[in-house]
Amino acid sequence: MSAEVEEMLKRFSTMKNIVGIVVVDYDGIAIKSTLDNTMSVHYAAHMQLLTEKARQVILDLDATNEFTSMRIRTTYFEIILVPLEHYFIVVLQNPCD
Amino acid sequence: MNRVLEDVIHKNVANTERITAENTVGYVVSDNASGSVAATSFDNTTAQGIVKHMNGLLVGLVQSAVRDLDPTNKLCYLRVASRKFEYLVAPEDMFTITVLQ
Repeated sequence: MSAEVEEMLKRFSTMKNIVGIVVVDYDGIAIKSTLDNTMSVHYAAHMQLLTEKARQVILDLDATNEFTSMRIRTTYFEIILVPLEHYFIVVLQNPCD
Repeated sequence: MNRVLEDVIHKNVANTERITAENTVGYVVSDNASGSVAATSFDNTTAQGIVKHMNGLLVGLVQSAVRDLDPTNKLCYLRVASRKFEYLVAPEDMFTITVLQ
């Protein structure tokens, strides 16, 4: 698992718009991050809550559907949240415009 | 408040036609204050459900999370992707627009 994570991080480091990446496991612990520790832990906690809620919302609206990803666009940057089977990934990027 | 909303919807009918003509499944416009559906292309029960779940729970949660992480920050829009389609949610001051595509 961590080999994939390393490879992903390497790929992301070449992309210009990316501000930071946090990989969070299911316990809410940030296992890999390019941000500083306090911010990572902060993001990990919030994003874990959001993934759970989003998953429930999608399931409630349609029981056959499944939550795959979420993009949160704010004034300063964009947060992309992708839940995978063992962990989920949070990417912060500067939106192009 | 509802009068204002209806005016806004009236002015944007051209936009709405365009949105529904493209690759979308449908849209819902809901009023923030009362949580009621102002305009929709779905049947009412579905629309109400969408408003209650999406706008009520998720948007509020995301907004508070965003502000928690950075107090000056603010949610602009939200895209929730699922296997079948994608929800595009745009919260404004008075109302919230949700489009499914």
